[in-house]
Amino acid sequence: MNILSIALKEIKRDFRDRRTLLFMLAFPIVLMLILGLTLSSAFNSGATVSGIKVLVQEVSNAGPLQQGFDAFQKEVKKNGITFVPLQAGMDAKAEVKNNHYTAFASVDKDGISLYSSNRNPIESNIVQGMLTAFTDKYNAVAAVAQHDPAKVQQITADASGASIVQETSIVANRSPGSIDYYALAMSVMIGFWAALPGAKLISGEIKEGTAVRLMAAPVSKAEIFIGKIVGSVVQSMLCVVVVVLFSKYVFKAYWGDHMGLTLGLLLTEVVLATGLGLTLSYIFKGGATMGLINLIIQLASFLGGAYFPIGDDAGKGIMSTLVSLSPIRWVNHAATSLIYGNQSTLAIQVIGVNLAAAAVLIGVSALIMRRREGL
Amino acid sequence: MNILEITGLTKKFGNFIAVDNMSLTVREGEIFGFLGANGAGKSTTINMISSLLRPTSGEIRLLDRDLVKNSRFAKMNLGIVPQDLAIYEMMTAYENVEFFAGLYGLRGVELKDRVLEALEFVGLADKAKSKPQNFSGGMKRRLNIACAIAHKPKLIIMDEPTVGIDPQSRNYILASVRKLNASGCTIIYTSHYMEEVEEICSRIAIVDHGKIIAEGTKEQLTATITDVKDIHIELKTQESILLESLTNIPGVRSAQQEENRLHVYSDATVDNLNRILKQLMDSGAEIRAVEEQEPNLETVFLTLTGRNLRDN
Repeated sequence: MNILSIALKEIKRDFRDRRTLLFMLAFPIVLMLILGLTLSSAFNSGATVSGIKVLVQEVSNAGPLQQGFDAFQKEVKKNGITFVPLQAGMDAKAEVKNNHYTAFASVDKDGISLYSSNRNPIESNIVQGMLTAFTDKYNAVAAVAQHDPAKVQQITADASGASIVQETSIVANRSPGSIDYYALAMSVMIGFWAALPGAKLISGEIKEGTAVRLMAAPVSKAEIFIGKIVGSVVQSMLCVVVVVLFSKYVFKAYWGDHMGLTLGLLLTEVVLATGLGLTLSYIFKGGATMGLINLIIQLASFLGGAYFPIGDDAGKGIMSTLVSLSPIRWVNHAATSLIYGNQSTLAIQVIGVNLAAAAVLIGVSALIMRRREGL
Repeated sequence: MNILEITGLTKKFGNFIAVDNMSLTVREGEIFGFLGANGAGKSTTINMISSLLRPTSGEIRLLDRDLVKNSRFAKMNLGIVPQDLAIYEMMTAYENVEFFAGLYGLRGVELKDRVLEALEFVGLADKAKSKPQNFSGGMKRRLNIACAIAHKPKLIIMDEPTVGIDPQSRNYILASVRKLNASGCTIIYTSHYMEEVEEICSRIAIVDHGKIIAEGTKEQLTATITDVKDIHIELKTQESILLESLTNIPGVRSAQQEENRLHVYSDATVDNLNRILKQLMDSGAEIRAVEEQEPNLETVFLTLTGRNLRDN
């Protein structure tokens, strides 16, 4: 019962602190709106590709390769790629450089060589991919023909363009728009802000002088400890839930079909952050704790992609290590995978990691508290 | 009957001995004054009685039970009014008292009644819904007391409850202390204001360097001081006196000035009044009145510790 009283007191007191409340609720919502609207173009996954023209030079003695290549040209034309023969007097490379053509392909008896410019990387990659697919198939047919010519017909029977040009997508059925992204990013970020009230759990009582009265009351240290942690976690989690619901119903952000598991994931992040704040407040004294926690939160937010997306290939070496150390990053990744890929495995793993880390941190705090005479 | 018995109590912080083999008793129903300068060991003793610190050695018995072994029982019967305010600024006066009283197992209607009773007692019933952040210093001190009494403890420790408040609030608190005592509560009271202790305490202990150096009623303590005289000199104007010129006079132990009043403590056996007055007149001071007073607690404290209670 004392645990409940202490937890309720904690929630009541924190929610009356208007500055904290404003910080925990208004700031992420405003930031979500500003970043979501400002950076909306950065989240457009579509790219229009049209009018790919490839300059081609065919040598008449190219033999079977030339025949195959002619068939290939006809096939890919259906996909909007035009092969234009090189005219006499034309400087093929200059034409590509000047962006008149996407690439220049030269076909002779030794094979196909391709020259492209990096001015149109997507188009160049498409051409290169198609030619690679074609040459791979041609080489396979040639190898079979050498050993068993009768089988060639069997292979080439389905050598339609479809096997050369295959449309695939690297984007899942649904990808986050800017508001979707920042709704998640801000919710994860304020989950980690739980470290701030966590740091004030015990030091706040000492500063306010109430630690003396708590210790003089017939309440065990364990009851005080648990009650305060429960209260702080509930208070921080309520803020996260408010931000999530606000983004869902006001900004129409997409939160997927696994809201329960997503909130569970965020809850474990809040527990972890609370434990981190509490432990640091025991190790460091006074203003140093809050300064350090603010620094950690800002770094974790930045590296975790709270302000702008940081891809998997972000940096190498120490940068890559730092990125992977951000709890905001773990939770963001797991939640994205859950919301947009319906993959719960990573979320469950991160929940486990968060809880394990929180158990260690809270255990350390409990040990320090137990060894102290006061709180 | 003794409500509190302390025997051979010692508290060490590393090599520093804060409380040194202290023994004392507090009887049920009395207001026990606990006097000591800062660093004398007073707060450490109080913190051990309140279970905030563990004794290095010795025994504390509250209501005839060992305090360390019966911590919960002891806490249930103890109320503490800390020197520093121990209230939540963000919660109303009612919620503050309700929260702390709730930790003592009070629930429902009983809790509500006790909270209102405590607020009524300290004169804050009409401010029950207000937050302490809007209170004066005196009101906060009164709320600090209300938080300690709602569970009706048998022993209340009040550590400097009147520090930094206006005379009106101070008088209110002193009256409250007497009222609490009259209702059957035993009180341990510490203060820097000697006149408060003289006014309300039935017995007094003086602690210095972690030890009790004197214990008894005011009369008993002052009766032990026979070798010191307390000379009060009132000057016509408020002018600064070189006190060193007075303490150089044979027999004078110390001298203090408060506005236009001088307090000179001197050996009772040395006849030096004329030399003191001559010294003052030679320095240009005009004397309005001279009075040799009976020893009081201030004199006792000064004689026993060699310093004034407020010289910290």
